[in-house]
Amino acid sequence: MSATTVLARSARAEWTRIWSVRSSWILAVVTAVAVVGLGTIIGIDSSDDPSGPPPDASAWDGGQLTGMFALFGILALSVVTSAADHGTGAIVPTLQWTPRRGVLLAARAGVVVATTTLLGVLLVAAASVVIWAFLPHLGLPVGDGAEILGGLALVYACGALLAVGLALVLRSTAGGLVTVIALVLVLPPLMAQLPYEWAVTLSSLMPGSSALFLIFGEGPSDDMTTTSARLTLAAWGVTALLAGGWRLMRTDANR
Amino acid sequence: MISMRGLTKDYGDVRAVDDLTFDVEAGKVTGFLGPNGAGKSTTMRMVMGLDRPSAGSATVNGKRYVEIAAPLCEVGALLDAGAMHPGRSGRSHLRIGARSNGIPLSRVDEVIEQVGLGAAARRRVKGYSLGMRQRLGIAAALLGDPQVLLFDEPVNGLDLDGVRWIRALLRGFADEGRTVLVSSHLMSEIQLIADRVVIIGRGRLIADADIDEVLSGLGGRRVRVRTPQDDDLHRALADRAAVVRTTPGELEVTGLGAPEIGDLAQALGLAIHHLADVEQSLEHAYLSLTEDSVDYHGRSAEPMMDGAAR
Repeated sequence: MSATTVLARSARAEWTRIWSVRSSWILAVVTAVAVVGLGTIIGIDSSDDPSGPPPDASAWDGGQLTGMFALFGILALSVVTSAADHGTGAIVPTLQWTPRRGVLLAARAGVVVATTTLLGVLLVAAASVVIWAFLPHLGLPVGDGAEILGGLALVYACGALLAVGLALVLRSTAGGLVTVIALVLVLPPLMAQLPYEWAVTLSSLMPGSSALFLIFGEGPSDDMTTTSARLTLAAWGVTALLAGGWRLMRTDANR
Repeated sequence: MISMRGLTKDYGDVRAVDDLTFDVEAGKVTGFLGPNGAGKSTTMRMVMGLDRPSAGSATVNGKRYVEIAAPLCEVGALLDAGAMHPGRSGRSHLRIGARSNGIPLSRVDEVIEQVGLGAAARRRVKGYSLGMRQRLGIAAALLGDPQVLLFDEPVNGLDLDGVRWIRALLRGFADEGRTVLVSSHLMSEIQLIADRVVIIGRGRLIADADIDEVLSGLGGRRVRVRTPQDDDLHRALADRAAVVRTTPGELEVTGLGAPEIGDLAQALGLAIHHLADVEQSLEHAYLSLTEDSVDYHGRSAEPMMDGAAR
């Protein structure tokens, strides 16, 4: 039997694993309501605003403003789905059914990252369409959409990788959520406020600062560029996954 | 067949499993016995690739478990009935197992019926009793209709019907030529269903034999004798066999047969009211084999010393 077949089977099992518990649906629905709801508020607010959005803006730009909300949902969903096996002890049957841990890692990371990234991109796209419905004169050009959604997809994929990796390292839903929130939401602005150069530099190297820069174009340091932010975020995602993969593959199942 | 060769597991300075070598043969139910902390579950976890051996190897049909592409179709195991996501339905749990091994989803409904879960399979696991979780774990083990089965304490939480069902199930699998390894702390259960027993203590192999051999030899054959002149008989037997006074007027003798004891009593003119072989129980054999291998001793509720007053 080919490795591809084994991987495909494991991926199908991972898909069922994600969507067969309520917590995944709840997180997805809450994220959808938050992202599309924010898009609706932006649409209503901007249509009432006499100054209106910048003349060269498209509805995609408005949609991008909802991107951070989608990122939080992606991080939470990725942590919850990846850590659940360890938190509940279900890793025992999981590894009995897929004992090749490299295959399990590839299937889990692949399915979770693909699913959450697609969910985030679709929700931002939906928010953009809602904004366009309120402000039809903005337009919804395909080229802008591909560029903005493509950029967000990279942010979401790296964020999901980071979340999956942390969940596998910590083997705890609560620990994973706290750590990922600290790295993305809490520590970057906190450190940027400290009156030390090194703290600002460190803040700009945190995944939250990179995500913020790529979504809003703002960051703690003027030295940040789109490329540096993407590389930083990718490095965090890959490193976290390598660490999580090492723990999954080299240590006992649930010790 | 399951084979272990020099299987060893260390947790820091603690050696949980120590150089275990034995085979679990096809066509037999093999009971896996040992006191708490003896290393039974750790051994099973290493067979299933969940824990990494510190040394040695465990193979199933000549392969390491992790090398099997569709393991559910070769090996089924119930290791920890509580190890399931409580928010998932039993049916979804089984569907994940089926999908991961390329098993048709129709098989899920078959095993649900086979273990008697029925409509409860659509409910979330958090509402299951321990017995229902055991049945769900057994259903997962049967999904791929495997030739090798491992069960860690399968009768835990089952009612009498469930216990009888699991006995028949295990017996049936062995009779079909499958390999069955079952651990239990219930000696009576193992005595009822096992053809062979593997006993470990402190991680080491103590016995690996057919159950009849264990019952007849390893545990020591005993004879119970009742006599009103128990002091006289005790003195007469003391230099020929091991004698224990179980109650006033009753002795238990190890090392002499009932005919020899009867002849001796007659020669001495002692009245005998009862003389019979003690039916050997696996429990007795097990206790005598593992008495030096128990890590956690409880205090006896009613200590009974030979000749001592209560």
